[in-house]
Amino acid sequence: MLNTSTSDAPLVKMVDIHKQFGGVHAVEDVSIDLYPGEVVGVLGHNGAGKSCLMRILSGAMTPTSGDIYVNGDPAQLNSPQDARNYGIETIYQTLALANHLDAPANLFMGRELKTRFGNLDEPRMLDEATKALRQLNPNFKNLRDPVVRLSGGQRQVIAIARAIYFQAKVLIMDEPTAALGPSETAMVSDLIVKLKSEGIGIFLISHDMHDVFELCDRVMVMNKGKNVGAFDINDVNKDDILSLIIKGTLPDGWRPRGDNQ
Amino acid sequence: MSDVAKKSRIQFLPTGSSLHKLSALLTLGLLIFVFSFTSPAFFSVNNGLTILLQTSVIGLLAIGMTMVIITGGIDLSVGSVLALAGVVAGLLIKAGLPVFPAMVLGTFAGALCGFVNGLVVTKMRITPFVTTLGMMLVARGIALQLTGAAPISRLGEAFGTLGNGSFFRIVEMQANGFPKVVFPGIPYPAVLLLVMAVLGAFLLKKRQIGRHIFSVGSNEEAARLSGVNVDRTKIWAYTASGALAGLAGMVLMSRLVTVQPNEGVMYELDAIAASVIGGASLMGGVGSISGSMIGAFIIGVLRNGLNMAGTSAFIQMIIIGVVVIGAVYIDQIRNRN
Repeated sequence: MLNTSTSDAPLVKMVDIHKQFGGVHAVEDVSIDLYPGEVVGVLGHNGAGKSCLMRILSGAMTPTSGDIYVNGDPAQLNSPQDARNYGIETIYQTLALANHLDAPANLFMGRELKTRFGNLDEPRMLDEATKALRQLNPNFKNLRDPVVRLSGGQRQVIAIARAIYFQAKVLIMDEPTAALGPSETAMVSDLIVKLKSEGIGIFLISHDMHDVFELCDRVMVMNKGKNVGAFDINDVNKDDILSLIIKGTLPDGWRPRGDNQ
Repeated sequence: MSDVAKKSRIQFLPTGSSLHKLSALLTLGLLIFVFSFTSPAFFSVNNGLTILLQTSVIGLLAIGMTMVIITGGIDLSVGSVLALAGVVAGLLIKAGLPVFPAMVLGTFAGALCGFVNGLVVTKMRITPFVTTLGMMLVARGIALQLTGAAPISRLGEAFGTLGNGSFFRIVEMQANGFPKVVFPGIPYPAVLLLVMAVLGAFLLKKRQIGRHIFSVGSNEEAARLSGVNVDRTKIWAYTASGALAGLAGMVLMSRLVTVQPNEGVMYELDAIAASVIGGASLMGGVGSISGSMIGAFIIGVLRNGLNMAGTSAFIQMIIIGVVVIGAVYIDQIRNRN
């Protein structure tokens, strides 16, 4: 199953993660790992627990039980700050932008650059933000506008730049293309390929089967909080995955399809 | 592109409320212009300084209020906290403490009230409106209980210095032996307000805590996910508001040279009005100290001008109420565009 792995320890390993809200089991004993330069798709319908699992990894939620290992060492992710310190960055589906602030303020939110005297270093933040944003979108203008006035694509670019600017090792992308047009979607796909080649591990949450099969190396499907199947992308086809997402089981008589290709 | 970038670099931060601020400033100018005609004594150096003195208390409250409003909260307790801080200082002086340390401790008592507000809002997760409404009653109750609702007087001349003293006061003796005030001087409270406003604006615009206050008010969840310590930021804002209310209490009680435990009723509403007129949004994320200062002076000039024109206090309430609604309405129109 882990034919893309190297002999190194996985970037991230989540073992027997369990999350309970009152009587509801949002995530039940799910284990997953991620190796450098790998894209792992986390799939499932709404409420299957995939966002919950990813929120646990990004430190926004603490698991009821279960262990998380980063580079082989046990890690406590009690806050988003903890996760960021481990190089785990998240691009949230909601983008998590402060609408009244401008692009540099959003990019450096929580990690503001400061001068020697501890004041905010606005010119340097604007400079760095300009570089980071132009890298993703050369036409990015209006950097000093409140982000509420920017287009959906520009807002997405800020959210992505915020994650990759700080040398992420693990990137969680929660439906990064849901709000984007075709050309911007292609930009995100290219970016994922580029980041992958730089050795960054990516968890990709997506509903778009085309994206999943184009970008992912492995997939894990969740259904009702459980892991109902983790496969090398070559061993499954679209129908297998849809069956897992909807029914929670593989079609009858399924055999790994990688052998046939 | 480059000149656009240059132009936008001048206005410093993300409030986007410069238009609102400009219209508020124009309103202030218009008020001064109109009142100059309704009362001949209005447009004079003396009256200008009086307005400065009268506005400094509301101005101090408005600085803290603006910070709290930008986080998306509200502080209804500042009027009561002002009174409690005054009572604490008064009682300490009566207990034998010199004026200055007593005033510092009084201000500290205000900060403590604000800190408790912050704790209740963040740790007990009670809405700011309810929390500070509760604190409004608690602080007022403590102030009245400690004093038996009686004013504390005979606090000594030094207690009156902060509220009544001034810089550059020029008095010359006339030939007939009576002193003549050439220039009444810039009142200490006005200078204190200026210092605090500059400090507040600096913290909001140039320091990390200010940026976090804006982030939390703009999108609390985003701020939390970005690693901003939301609870600490809110507690900071409420504590600052409490401390400034305490300081305003020192100024007000010093001006009266008496501690009145029932002073400052409804001052919170003037402070909120000042912030909102100055462009702060009660939804959070928007506001500025400079705007709130303009707002405070609009209220100060309105009060003073209407007084000098002989308008009754009741009519003044009606007019200020209408002005607040008008300011919020303009703010909404602005946001719709």
